[in-house]
Amino acid sequence: MTTEQTAELTSVAPEAIAGALLSFLAKRIKTEVAPDQDLFKSGLVSSMFAMELVVHLEEAYDIAIIGPELKLDNFRTVEAMTALVLRLRGASGTADGG
Amino acid sequence: MVAEGLVDERALVGALVGDSPAAWDLAGELPVNLLRKLGAEGILCAEVPAPFGGLGASSQDNGELTAYTGGLCSSLRSIMTSQGMAAWTIQRFGDREQRRRYLADLTNGQLAAVAFSEIEAGSDLSAMRTLIRPSGDSVVIDGQKMWVTGTRYADHIVVLGRHGDGAAAVVVPAEAPGVHVEPVADPMGCRAAGHSNIRLDQVRLPASCVLGGGGQSLSLLFTTALCYGRMSVAWGCVGIIRACMNAATNHARRREQSGKPLANHQLIARHLAELVIAEQVSTRVCEHASRCWDSASPDMVMAAVLAKHVSAGQATRSAATAVQVMASAGAADGHVAARAYRDAKLMEIIEGSNEICQLVLAQHALTTVAEAG
Repeated sequence: MTTEQTAELTSVAPEAIAGALLSFLAKRIKTEVAPDQDLFKSGLVSSMFAMELVVHLEEAYDIAIIGPELKLDNFRTVEAMTALVLRLRGASGTADGG
Repeated sequence: MVAEGLVDERALVGALVGDSPAAWDLAGELPVNLLRKLGAEGILCAEVPAPFGGLGASSQDNGELTAYTGGLCSSLRSIMTSQGMAAWTIQRFGDREQRRRYLADLTNGQLAAVAFSEIEAGSDLSAMRTLIRPSGDSVVIDGQKMWVTGTRYADHIVVLGRHGDGAAAVVVPAEAPGVHVEPVADPMGCRAAGHSNIRLDQVRLPASCVLGGGGQSLSLLFTTALCYGRMSVAWGCVGIIRACMNAATNHARRREQSGKPLANHQLIARHLAELVIAEQVSTRVCEHASRCWDSASPDMVMAAVLAKHVSAGQATRSAATAVQVMASAGAADGHVAARAYRDAKLMEIIEGSNEICQLVLAQHALTTVAEAG
Protein backbone atom coordinates (compact mmCIF):
# COMPACT_ATOMS: atom_id res chain seq x y z
CA MET A 1 0.00 0.00 0.00
CA THR A 2 2.81 2.37 0.86
CA THR A 3 4.49 1.81 -2.47
CA GLU A 4 1.29 2.52 -4.28
CA GLN A 5 0.75 5.73 -2.35
CA THR A 6 4.27 6.94 -2.93
CA ALA A 7 3.75 6.39 -6.62
CA GLU A 8 0.59 8.45 -6.48
CA LEU A 9 2.33 11.22 -4.61
CA THR A 10 4.92 11.60 -7.33
CA SER A 11 2.44 11.74 -10.18
CA VAL A 12 -0.03 14.53 -9.75
CA ALA A 13 -0.80 15.26 -13.37
CA PRO A 14 -4.58 15.39 -13.85
CA GLU A 15 -4.54 12.24 -16.01
CA ALA A 16 -2.57 10.35 -13.38
CA ILE A 17 -4.91 11.39 -10.57
CA ALA A 18 -7.97 10.46 -12.60
CA GLY A 19 -6.41 7.17 -13.61
CA ALA A 20 -5.53 6.26 -10.04
CA LEU A 21 -9.03 7.16 -8.89
CA LEU A 22 -10.65 5.04 -11.58
CA SER A 23 -8.65 2.02 -10.51
CA PHE A 24 -9.32 2.75 -6.82
CA LEU A 25 -13.05 2.81 -7.59
CA ALA A 26 -12.87 -0.31 -9.73
CA LYS A 27 -11.18 -2.11 -6.86
CA ARG A 28 -13.53 -0.85 -4.13
CA ILE A 29 -16.90 -1.09 -5.84
CA LYS A 30 -16.09 -3.75 -8.41
CA THR A 31 -17.47 -1.62 -11.22
CA GLU A 32 -15.83 0.25 -14.08
CA VAL A 33 -16.92 3.88 -14.09
CA ALA A 34 -16.46 6.74 -16.55
CA PRO A 35 -14.63 9.91 -15.44
CA ASP A 36 -17.79 12.00 -15.79
CA GLN A 37 -20.20 9.47 -14.36
CA ASP A 38 -22.30 10.67 -11.39
CA LEU A 39 -21.42 8.14 -8.72
CA PHE A 40 -24.23 9.10 -6.37
CA LYS A 41 -26.98 9.41 -8.94
CA SER A 42 -26.12 6.06 -10.46
CA GLY A 43 -26.54 4.54 -7.00
CA LEU A 44 -23.02 3.15 -7.09
CA VAL A 45 -21.93 4.73 -3.84
CA SER A 46 -23.43 6.06 -0.61
CA SER A 47 -22.47 8.90 1.70
CA MET A 48 -20.60 6.26 3.71
CA PHE A 49 -18.47 5.68 0.65
CA ALA A 50 -18.09 9.42 0.13
CA MET A 51 -16.36 9.54 3.48
CA GLU A 52 -14.11 6.68 2.43
CA LEU A 53 -13.20 8.76 -0.61
CA VAL A 54 -12.39 11.74 1.62
CA VAL A 55 -10.04 9.63 3.72
CA HIS A 56 -8.45 8.02 0.67
CA LEU A 57 -7.77 11.30 -1.16
CA GLU A 58 -6.30 12.92 1.94
CA GLU A 59 -3.94 10.06 2.54
CA ALA A 60 -2.95 9.50 -1.08
CA TYR A 61 -2.32 13.16 -1.96
CA ASP A 62 -1.32 14.70 1.37
CA ILE A 63 -4.20 17.14 1.38
CA ALA A 64 -6.75 18.14 4.01
CA ILE A 65 -10.33 18.15 2.79
CA ILE A 66 -12.10 20.18 5.41
CA GLY A 67 -14.66 22.90 5.95
CA PRO A 68 -16.48 24.08 2.85
CA GLU A 69 -14.77 21.48 0.65
CA LEU A 70 -16.84 18.69 2.21
CA LYS A 71 -19.59 18.99 -0.35
CA LEU A 72 -20.94 15.93 -2.08
CA ASP A 73 -20.44 17.71 -5.41
CA ASN A 74 -16.68 17.49 -4.92
CA PHE A 75 -16.95 13.69 -4.88
CA ARG A 76 -19.69 13.24 -7.43
CA THR A 77 -17.44 12.31 -10.35
CA VAL A 78 -13.84 11.30 -10.89
CA GLU A 79 -13.39 14.60 -12.74
CA ALA A 80 -14.66 16.58 -9.73
CA MET A 81 -12.36 14.71 -7.36
CA THR A 82 -9.40 15.28 -9.67
CA ALA A 83 -10.13 18.99 -9.73
CA LEU A 84 -10.44 19.01 -5.94
CA VAL A 85 -7.06 17.33 -5.50
CA LEU A 86 -5.38 19.73 -7.90
CA ARG A 87 -6.97 22.75 -6.23
CA LEU A 88 -6.00 21.66 -2.72
CA ARG A 89 -2.47 20.71 -3.71
CA GLY A 90 -2.14 24.18 -5.19
CA ALA A 91 -3.27 25.79 -1.94
CA SER A 92 -0.68 26.36 0.77
CA GLY A 93 -0.81 24.48 4.09
CA THR A 94 -2.06 20.95 4.22
CA ALA A 95 -2.93 18.21 6.65
CA ASP A 96 -1.13 19.63 9.70
CA GLY A 97 -4.31 21.51 10.49
CA GLY A 98 -2.49 24.55 11.86
CA MET B 1 -2.94 -5.72 26.80
CA VAL B 2 -3.23 -2.25 28.30
CA ALA B 3 -2.25 0.41 25.78
CA GLU B 4 0.78 2.41 26.70
CA GLY B 5 -0.59 5.84 25.96
CA LEU B 6 -2.65 8.04 28.24
CA VAL B 7 -1.66 6.15 31.40
CA ASP B 8 -1.65 9.31 33.52
CA GLU B 9 -4.97 10.38 32.09
CA ARG B 10 -6.49 7.04 32.96
CA ALA B 11 -5.19 7.29 36.51
CA LEU B 12 -6.68 10.76 36.83
CA VAL B 13 -10.08 9.54 35.61
CA GLY B 14 -9.94 6.67 38.11
CA ALA B 15 -8.98 8.94 40.99
CA LEU B 16 -11.62 11.57 40.24
CA VAL B 17 -14.41 9.08 39.59
CA GLY B 18 -13.73 6.81 42.57
CA ASP B 19 -16.81 4.94 43.73
CA SER B 20 -19.25 7.69 42.78
CA PRO B 21 -20.92 6.26 39.64
CA ALA B 22 -23.65 4.45 41.59
CA ALA B 23 -24.64 7.69 43.32
CA TRP B 24 -24.47 9.62 40.04
CA ASP B 25 -26.76 7.05 38.43
CA LEU B 26 -29.29 7.31 41.25
CA ALA B 27 -29.15 11.11 41.30
CA GLY B 28 -29.25 11.31 37.49
CA GLU B 29 -26.50 13.91 37.46
CA LEU B 30 -22.74 14.22 37.09
CA PRO B 31 -20.77 16.88 39.00
CA VAL B 32 -20.13 19.54 36.38
CA ASN B 33 -16.85 20.56 38.05
CA LEU B 34 -15.51 17.07 37.42
CA LEU B 35 -16.44 17.37 33.73
CA ARG B 36 -14.73 20.75 33.48
CA LYS B 37 -11.60 19.41 35.14
CA LEU B 38 -11.41 16.41 32.79
CA GLY B 39 -12.16 18.74 29.89
CA ALA B 40 -9.35 21.11 30.85
CA GLU B 41 -6.96 18.14 30.85
CA GLY B 42 -8.02 17.35 27.29
CA ILE B 43 -9.34 13.96 28.40
CA LEU B 44 -12.88 14.37 27.09
CA CYS B 45 -11.68 14.74 23.48
CA ALA B 46 -8.22 13.19 23.65
CA GLU B 47 -7.71 12.93 19.87
CA VAL B 48 -7.64 16.70 19.32
CA PRO B 49 -4.18 17.41 17.86
CA ALA B 50 -1.60 19.09 20.09
CA PRO B 51 -1.39 22.32 18.01
CA PHE B 52 -5.03 22.93 18.98
CA GLY B 53 -4.40 22.28 22.66
CA GLY B 54 -5.36 18.62 22.70
CA LEU B 55 -3.54 15.47 23.76
CA GLY B 56 -3.14 14.29 20.16
CA ALA B 57 -3.99 10.72 21.16
CA SER B 58 -4.33 7.92 18.64
CA SER B 59 -7.71 6.31 18.16
CA GLN B 60 -6.32 3.17 19.78
CA ASP B 61 -5.12 4.97 22.93
CA ASN B 62 -8.23 7.09 23.19
CA GLY B 63 -10.24 3.91 22.67
CA GLU B 64 -8.66 2.23 25.67
CA LEU B 65 -9.21 5.40 27.72
CA THR B 66 -12.83 5.42 26.58
CA ALA B 67 -13.23 1.75 27.53
CA TYR B 68 -11.71 2.40 30.92
CA THR B 69 -14.08 5.30 31.54
CA GLY B 70 -17.02 3.32 30.18
CA GLY B 71 -16.25 0.51 32.59
CA LEU B 72 -16.59 2.95 35.46
CA CYS B 73 -19.53 5.02 34.30
CA SER B 74 -21.35 5.04 30.97
CA SER B 75 -22.84 8.46 31.70
CA LEU B 76 -19.38 9.99 31.94
CA ARG B 77 -18.28 8.03 28.87
CA SER B 78 -21.29 9.44 27.00
CA ILE B 79 -20.03 12.93 27.79
CA MET B 80 -16.65 11.92 26.32
CA THR B 81 -18.39 10.67 23.21
CA SER B 82 -20.27 13.94 22.75
CA GLN B 83 -17.29 16.15 23.43
CA GLY B 84 -15.10 14.10 21.10
CA MET B 85 -17.74 14.10 18.38
CA ALA B 86 -18.13 17.88 18.67
CA ALA B 87 -14.36 18.35 18.45
CA TRP B 88 -14.08 16.01 15.47
CA THR B 89 -16.93 17.76 13.65
CA ILE B 90 -15.31 21.15 14.26
CA GLN B 91 -11.92 19.82 13.16
CA ARG B 92 -13.41 18.43 9.96
CA PHE B 93 -15.91 21.11 8.99
CA GLY B 94 -14.58 24.25 10.62
CA ASP B 95 -12.33 26.76 8.89
CA ARG B 96 -8.91 27.58 10.28
CA GLU B 97 -10.13 30.27 12.69
CA GLN B 98 -13.07 28.17 13.93
CA ARG B 99 -10.81 25.20 14.60
CA ARG B 100 -8.44 27.37 16.61
CA ARG B 101 -11.18 29.05 18.60
CA TYR B 102 -13.51 26.16 19.36
CA LEU B 103 -10.93 23.42 19.87
CA ALA B 104 -9.16 25.68 22.36
CA ASP B 105 -12.46 26.00 24.22
CA LEU B 106 -13.09 22.26 24.14
CA THR B 107 -9.69 21.45 25.61
CA ASN B 108 -9.95 24.22 28.20
CA GLY B 109 -12.85 23.00 30.29
CA GLN B 110 -15.76 24.12 28.17
CA LEU B 111 -18.26 21.39 27.32
CA ALA B 112 -20.04 20.56 24.07
CA ALA B 113 -22.97 18.51 22.82
CA VAL B 114 -23.93 17.53 19.26
CA ALA B 115 -27.59 17.84 18.27
CA PHE B 116 -28.73 15.42 15.54
CA SER B 117 -32.09 13.83 16.24
CA GLU B 118 -35.46 15.42 15.80
CA ILE B 119 -38.95 14.20 16.62
CA GLU B 120 -39.52 12.98 13.07
CA ALA B 121 -35.93 12.71 11.92
CA GLY B 122 -33.78 9.99 13.42
CA SER B 123 -32.17 7.89 10.74
CA ASP B 124 -34.29 9.55 8.03
CA LEU B 125 -32.25 12.64 7.34
CA SER B 126 -34.64 13.88 4.68
CA ALA B 127 -37.17 14.59 7.43
CA MET B 128 -34.88 17.05 9.20
CA ARG B 129 -36.63 20.36 9.84
CA THR B 130 -34.08 22.46 11.70
CA LEU B 131 -33.26 25.47 9.54
CA ILE B 132 -30.12 27.60 9.56
CA ARG B 133 -31.08 30.70 7.60
CA PRO B 134 -28.58 33.37 6.48
CA SER B 135 -29.61 36.90 7.41
CA GLY B 136 -27.04 39.56 6.55
CA ASP B 137 -23.92 38.92 8.64
CA SER B 138 -25.94 36.63 10.88
CA VAL B 139 -27.76 33.33 10.75
CA VAL B 140 -31.11 32.60 12.35
CA ILE B 141 -31.77 29.09 13.60
CA ASP B 142 -35.16 27.51 14.19
CA GLY B 143 -35.88 23.92 15.11
CA GLN B 144 -36.21 21.25 17.74
CA LYS B 145 -33.73 18.56 18.70
CA MET B 146 -34.36 15.67 21.02
CA TRP B 147 -32.42 13.45 23.38
CA VAL B 148 -29.20 15.35 22.90
CA THR B 149 -26.55 13.82 25.16
CA GLY B 150 -24.73 16.17 27.50
CA THR B 151 -26.81 19.26 26.78
CA ARG B 152 -27.50 19.89 30.45
CA TYR B 153 -23.79 20.57 31.02
CA ALA B 154 -22.90 22.02 27.62
CA ASP B 155 -21.53 25.48 26.89
CA HIS B 156 -21.65 24.84 23.12
CA ILE B 157 -24.23 22.88 21.16
CA VAL B 158 -23.19 21.82 17.65
CA VAL B 159 -26.51 21.88 15.79
CA LEU B 160 -26.97 20.18 12.42
CA GLY B 161 -29.62 21.60 10.15
CA ARG B 162 -30.67 22.55 6.66
CA HIS B 163 -28.74 25.40 5.11
CA GLY B 164 -29.59 26.62 1.63
CA ASP B 165 -29.66 23.65 -0.73
CA GLY B 166 -27.47 21.67 1.61
CA ALA B 167 -26.75 21.49 5.28
CA ALA B 168 -24.53 22.99 7.92
CA ALA B 169 -23.32 22.53 11.45
CA VAL B 170 -23.53 25.63 13.59
CA VAL B 171 -21.95 26.09 17.00
CA VAL B 172 -24.66 27.51 19.24
CA PRO B 173 -23.78 28.93 22.66
CA ALA B 174 -26.11 27.23 25.14
CA GLU B 175 -26.75 30.65 26.69
CA ALA B 176 -27.81 32.33 23.43
CA PRO B 177 -31.25 33.98 23.49
CA GLY B 178 -33.87 31.63 22.05
CA VAL B 179 -32.15 28.39 23.15
CA HIS B 180 -34.47 26.43 25.43
CA VAL B 181 -33.07 23.29 27.07
CA GLU B 182 -35.39 20.84 28.76
CA PRO B 183 -33.77 17.80 30.42
CA VAL B 184 -35.25 14.41 29.54
CA ALA B 185 -36.96 13.17 32.70
CA ASP B 186 -35.73 9.79 33.97
CA PRO B 187 -33.88 8.29 30.98
CA MET B 188 -33.66 4.50 31.20
CA GLY B 189 -29.88 4.38 30.87
CA CYS B 190 -26.86 6.66 31.02
CA ARG B 191 -29.07 8.47 33.48
CA ALA B 192 -26.55 11.12 34.41
CA ALA B 193 -25.49 11.95 30.84
CA GLY B 194 -27.62 15.09 30.74
CA HIS B 195 -29.90 14.13 27.82
CA SER B 196 -32.10 17.06 26.91
CA ASN B 197 -34.60 18.22 24.36
CA ILE B 198 -33.70 21.53 22.77
CA ARG B 199 -35.93 24.16 21.21
CA LEU B 200 -34.23 26.76 19.02
CA ASP B 201 -36.52 29.72 18.62
CA GLN B 202 -35.16 32.36 16.21
CA VAL B 203 -31.65 32.02 17.60
CA ARG B 204 -29.57 34.75 15.95
CA LEU B 205 -25.81 34.24 15.78
CA PRO B 206 -22.91 35.71 13.79
CA ALA B 207 -22.42 33.85 10.52
CA SER B 208 -18.94 32.96 11.79
CA CYS B 209 -20.58 30.30 14.00
CA VAL B 210 -21.48 28.23 10.91
CA LEU B 211 -18.71 25.67 10.46
CA GLY B 212 -16.84 26.18 7.21
CA GLY B 213 -19.52 28.56 6.01
CA GLY B 214 -22.04 25.74 5.58
CA GLY B 215 -23.45 24.45 2.31
CA GLN B 216 -22.17 20.97 2.98
CA SER B 217 -23.85 17.65 2.36
CA LEU B 218 -26.21 16.64 5.15
CA SER B 219 -25.41 12.96 4.74
CA LEU B 220 -21.66 13.60 4.69
CA LEU B 221 -21.97 15.77 7.81
CA PHE B 222 -23.83 13.00 9.58
CA THR B 223 -21.58 10.22 8.39
CA THR B 224 -18.48 12.11 9.46
CA ALA B 225 -19.71 13.10 12.91
CA LEU B 226 -21.23 9.69 13.57
CA CYS B 227 -18.10 7.86 12.53
CA TYR B 228 -16.29 9.28 15.55
CA GLY B 229 -19.34 8.68 17.74
CA ARG B 230 -19.49 5.05 16.68
CA MET B 231 -15.86 4.48 17.55
CA SER B 232 -16.41 6.03 20.95
CA VAL B 233 -19.57 4.07 21.69
CA ALA B 234 -17.91 0.86 20.53
CA TRP B 235 -15.00 1.30 22.92
CA GLY B 236 -17.37 2.41 25.67
CA CYS B 237 -19.20 -0.89 25.22
CA VAL B 238 -15.91 -2.76 25.64
CA GLY B 239 -15.70 -1.03 29.02
CA ILE B 240 -19.22 -2.15 29.93
CA ILE B 241 -18.35 -5.74 29.01
CA ARG B 242 -15.14 -5.67 31.07
CA ALA B 243 -17.00 -4.29 34.09
CA CYS B 244 -19.61 -7.04 33.72
CA MET B 245 -16.95 -9.73 33.35
CA ASN B 246 -15.11 -8.54 36.44
CA ALA B 247 -18.21 -8.23 38.61
CA ALA B 248 -19.70 -11.56 37.55
CA THR B 249 -16.41 -13.44 37.86
CA ASN B 250 -15.71 -12.17 41.35
CA HIS B 251 -19.23 -12.93 42.44
CA ALA B 252 -19.11 -16.45 41.00
CA ARG B 253 -15.81 -17.02 42.74
CA ARG B 254 -17.04 -15.98 46.20
CA ARG B 255 -20.70 -16.86 46.39
CA GLU B 256 -21.41 -20.48 47.34
CA GLN B 257 -24.45 -22.57 46.56
CA SER B 258 -24.93 -26.26 47.39
CA GLY B 259 -21.55 -26.32 49.09
CA LYS B 260 -19.41 -24.96 46.27
CA PRO B 261 -18.67 -21.64 44.58
CA LEU B 262 -21.05 -20.60 41.83
CA ALA B 263 -18.14 -20.77 39.40
CA ASN B 264 -17.98 -24.53 39.93
CA HIS B 265 -21.54 -24.94 38.74
CA GLN B 266 -21.21 -25.65 35.04
CA LEU B 267 -24.10 -23.51 33.84
CA ILE B 268 -22.60 -20.52 35.66
CA ALA B 269 -19.15 -21.32 34.28
CA ARG B 270 -20.61 -21.12 30.81
CA HIS B 271 -21.82 -17.59 31.54
CA LEU B 272 -18.28 -16.64 32.50
CA ALA B 273 -16.96 -18.16 29.28
CA GLU B 274 -19.44 -16.10 27.29
CA LEU B 275 -18.28 -12.94 29.02
CA VAL B 276 -14.69 -13.71 28.07
CA ILE B 277 -15.73 -14.30 24.47
CA ALA B 278 -17.68 -11.03 24.40
CA GLU B 279 -14.73 -9.10 25.81
CA GLN B 280 -12.27 -10.57 23.34
CA VAL B 281 -14.48 -10.26 20.27
CA SER B 282 -15.41 -6.67 21.04
CA THR B 283 -11.89 -5.60 21.89
CA ARG B 284 -10.54 -7.10 18.67
CA VAL B 285 -13.15 -5.49 16.43
CA CYS B 286 -12.55 -2.11 18.12
CA GLU B 287 -8.79 -2.47 17.79
CA HIS B 288 -9.20 -3.20 14.11
CA ALA B 289 -11.37 -0.12 13.60
CA SER B 290 -8.88 2.05 15.51
CA ARG B 291 -6.01 0.71 13.41
CA CYS B 292 -7.96 1.66 10.29
CA TRP B 293 -8.61 5.09 11.78
CA ASP B 294 -4.99 5.64 12.83
CA SER B 295 -3.63 4.59 9.45
CA ALA B 296 -6.22 6.76 7.65
CA SER B 297 -7.54 3.75 5.78
CA PRO B 298 -10.82 4.24 3.92
CA ASP B 299 -11.89 1.00 5.60
CA MET B 300 -12.36 2.97 8.81
CA VAL B 301 -15.88 4.01 7.88
CA MET B 302 -17.22 0.47 7.65
CA ALA B 303 -14.97 -0.79 10.44
CA ALA B 304 -16.50 1.79 12.80
CA VAL B 305 -20.02 0.63 11.97
CA LEU B 306 -19.03 -2.97 12.50
CA ALA B 307 -17.25 -2.23 15.79
CA LYS B 308 -20.19 -0.27 17.13
CA HIS B 309 -22.72 -2.91 16.11
CA VAL B 310 -20.75 -5.87 17.43
CA SER B 311 -19.76 -4.21 20.71
CA ALA B 312 -23.21 -2.84 21.48
CA GLY B 313 -24.77 -6.26 20.96
CA GLN B 314 -22.09 -7.99 23.01
CA ALA B 315 -22.47 -5.39 25.79
CA THR B 316 -26.22 -5.84 25.91
CA ARG B 317 -25.90 -9.63 26.20
CA SER B 318 -23.02 -9.38 28.66
CA ALA B 319 -24.97 -7.06 30.92
CA ALA B 320 -27.92 -9.47 30.95
CA THR B 321 -25.50 -12.29 31.71
CA ALA B 322 -23.89 -10.39 34.58
CA VAL B 323 -27.26 -9.63 36.15
CA GLN B 324 -28.19 -13.30 35.74
CA VAL B 325 -25.02 -14.52 37.45
CA MET B 326 -25.18 -11.96 40.25
CA ALA B 327 -28.92 -12.18 40.77
CA SER B 328 -30.01 -10.13 43.77
CA ALA B 329 -26.43 -8.98 44.41
CA GLY B 330 -26.44 -7.00 41.16
CA ALA B 331 -30.10 -6.14 40.79
CA ALA B 332 -30.27 -2.91 42.78
CA ASP B 333 -30.23 0.29 40.74
CA GLY B 334 -26.83 1.91 40.87
CA HIS B 335 -24.98 -1.42 40.98
CA VAL B 336 -22.50 -1.91 38.16
CA ALA B 337 -24.48 -4.82 36.67
CA ALA B 338 -27.81 -3.03 36.94
CA ARG B 339 -26.36 0.10 35.34
CA ALA B 340 -24.75 -1.95 32.58
CA TYR B 341 -28.08 -3.64 31.87
CA ARG B 342 -29.84 -0.30 31.35
CA ASP B 343 -26.93 1.57 29.75
CA ALA B 344 -25.95 -1.14 27.25
CA LYS B 345 -29.44 -1.39 25.79
CA LEU B 346 -29.27 2.27 24.78
CA MET B 347 -25.99 1.55 22.98
CA GLU B 348 -27.97 -0.64 20.55
CA ILE B 349 -29.97 2.45 19.67
CA ILE B 350 -27.73 5.51 19.55
CA GLU B 351 -25.24 6.48 16.78
CA GLY B 352 -27.09 4.18 14.37
CA SER B 353 -29.44 1.53 15.74
CA ASN B 354 -28.78 -2.18 15.28
CA GLU B 355 -31.09 -2.11 12.30
CA ILE B 356 -29.39 0.89 10.65
CA CYS B 357 -25.97 -0.70 11.17
CA GLN B 358 -27.24 -3.89 9.57
CA LEU B 359 -28.57 -1.97 6.57
CA VAL B 360 -25.20 -0.24 6.16
CA LEU B 361 -23.36 -3.56 6.38
CA ALA B 362 -25.72 -5.18 3.91
CA GLN B 363 -25.21 -2.30 1.50
CA HIS B 364 -21.48 -2.77 1.92
CA ALA B 365 -21.82 -6.38 0.79
CA LEU B 366 -23.87 -5.36 -2.22
CA THR B 367 -21.34 -2.70 -3.19
CA THR B 368 -18.12 -4.62 -2.67
CA VAL B 369 -18.87 -8.20 -3.62
CA ALA B 370 -18.28 -8.72 -7.32
CA GLU B 371 -21.24 -10.00 -9.24
CA ALA B 372 -20.75 -13.64 -10.15
CA GLY B 373 -20.66 -14.12 -13.89
